Amino acid sequence: MDAISGLLGGFAALANPETLLYMIGGFLVGTFFGAVPGLTSVLAIALLLPLTYSLDVTTALVACASIFMAGMCSGSITATTINIPGAPSSMMTALEGYPMQQRGEGAKALGHAALGSMIGGSLGALLLMVMAPLAADVALLIRTPGKFSLIAFALIVIIISQRGSITKGMIATLFGVMIATIGIDVVQPLARFTFGTSALVQGIDMMPLIIGTFAISELLVQADSRNSRTVDPGMIKAAKVRRRDFIPPLSEVREIGALRYLKSAAIGYAVGILPGAGGSMAAFVSYAESMRSSKHPERYGKGNPEGIAAAECANNSMCGGAFVPMLTFGIPGDPTTAIVLGVLVINGLQPGPQFMTQQLDLIAPMFASLFVSALILIPLTLYLLGPYFLKIVSIRRDVLYSSIAIVALVGSYVATYSTFQMALALVFGVLAYFLRKQKYPTVCLLLGFVLGPSLEEYCRRALSINDGNPMIFFTSPDSLFFIALTAVFFYFMVIRKPRDNGLGTRPA
Amino acid sequence: MSSERSFKPSSHPSSRRPTLGGEFFVPAVLALITLVYLISAIQLGPPMKAGNMTASFFPIATAILMLVALICAMVHALRGKAKAPATEPTTDADSTDGESASRQYLGLTLGAIGVIVLTAGYLLAFDLIGYFVATFVYVLLLCCLFGGGFRDKWPTKLIAAVAITLAGYLLFEVVFQVRLPTLWSQ
Repeated sequence: MDAISGLLGGFAALANPETLLYMIGGFLVGTFFGAVPGLTSVLAIALLLPLTYSLDVTTALVACASIFMAGMCSGSITATTINIPGAPSSMMTALEGYPMQQRGEGAKALGHAALGSMIGGSLGALLLMVMAPLAADVALLIRTPGKFSLIAFALIVIIISQRGSITKGMIATLFGVMIATIGIDVVQPLARFTFGTSALVQGIDMMPLIIGTFAISELLVQADSRNSRTVDPGMIKAAKVRRRDFIPPLSEVREIGALRYLKSAAIGYAVGILPGAGGSMAAFVSYAESMRSSKHPERYGKGNPEGIAAAECANNSMCGGAFVPMLTFGIPGDPTTAIVLGVLVINGLQPGPQFMTQQLDLIAPMFASLFVSALILIPLTLYLLGPYFLKIVSIRRDVLYSSIAIVALVGSYVATYSTFQMALALVFGVLAYFLRKQKYPTVCLLLGFVLGPSLEEYCRRALSINDGNPMIFFTSPDSLFFIALTAVFFYFMVIRKPRDNGLGTRPA
Repeated sequence: MSSERSFKPSSHPSSRRPTLGGEFFVPAVLALITLVYLISAIQLGPPMKAGNMTASFFPIATAILMLVALICAMVHALRGKAKAPATEPTTDADSTDGESASRQYLGLTLGAIGVIVLTAGYLLAFDLIGYFVATFVYVLLLCCLFGGGFRDKWPTKLIAAVAITLAGYLLFEVVFQVRLPTLWSQ
């Protein structure tokens, strides 16, 4: 009963005008960043991170949740109207949405995308509220060796989910782990890798790494484009949409069927729980399953609302699933939840098995924000702003990227009131730029940085309680379970996967 | 996403042999960094003491794994270069579009170098001359860089620079109460 009243209290917290304002503001910012090609909701949350020093933790989490949800659905706007997915998770939507746009049904495609996002996002948030306390109870059973194996499992799955570039994923992850070892040792008071610099004794803060990896590197990548606007104004004239066309016909919704919506939401939620999977994989798996089980698979790729519904329902449902491992185990599976973890850490909070019960009043508004964003803000934003979406996202690049630069750099200054953090952000930005150019997944760098210290700490603690004998990882049932789970994932994702020519695949 | 643009061949003459690009040099530079890291880790002391892991164990293990992965990546790059016919232009991942592929220095495009130099200058100026002047000049120069030079629509760029500087001040100093350095507080 306490849990239910706590969760309901989260909805009541949204009635606070300031919290509500941040939720709506976050949703609009997330919609903009998700819709503009080249920008992502991860970048929006990264830019929000420095501001959380001055914000109440509940308000910051509410804003993060609404940005996450908005960013996941708004990529469909440009994916449908001009065939350029605003976010990677909308690539499957572009396959069906753009053919509909060419038939003059673009607004209806956006309506289907919004409906799918609304259903998927709401179900994902509900499942999060129901499942997270259960997952927290299970998390209490995991002891130190098991925690090490769980984090190792998460890191390995993150690496092997980098299709065609497992080696690059491994390099990026290990580099993140290496950066995390700079500073005071996790077990004993010994400074490591400071190279005689006192500024490095406290270690590398998460903020410059996030700002550098996601904001500064984006500036460097975008610096060579010759376009004056983010979206070509010529395309806007060709893609006019009307408000009344947004509502999808009931006959088409019936044809898609409640089961397809439910199945897509379940797939998205399950994929969200997996480390490193993210919205793109959720949309892809759900789309593929929808096509497999469809009565008319031949219509896919030619503008079928079923495909849009499946993809959008799954990628928004993923938002709920992604929070489960972060809140219950302290293990973020994707960059957004890693940044949300950063928000919690900045405020002196450490997620774990008892976090859900002890701090429910702080995180319940975040759950409520996810739910309300999906159920109310997605359709409301589409209806009110839909006809103007393309004009809004077609912004002058000089103004946009200059503004991002100032928020990113001055935001880095906020943490310690020192330009050293700003300089670190620039260094990590240049590093991430080179990694991105060579297709190294920078998400792995961030997750390696976040999970590395826990991996080392639990490894050393587990060994010290067993006199340095590594057999503890195989004799402890919880640890053995995660080792077996790692083996299962490795088998299905690496050994049984189709061969390709990318780096890190099976030798021929 | 911008980082996922399709690759086009760079503008090398077709008669040239394919050269080693970022595919090799990025892991090579990372290998150098890792070697320095590994040496520092070894200097921390022995990895095991009395049957327990010490502060150097985990970094040494990470560095060794990293070096193995980097060697694999470099070998892959060398094999890719060896397989590419001499007459075929290189398809370096550095080349993101026709414009940026034409001129690169140390793997950085001119635009990227511009942003790095301007940002480094901004960081120096931020402490020395304060938020207002440093930010105004930085934003103005960035607007020129992203907006195709100073001559084109310069009044708009000036207005944008003033507006962004003021908006940044309002956001950080007024709304979030962050004390920003100013010329008169130096």
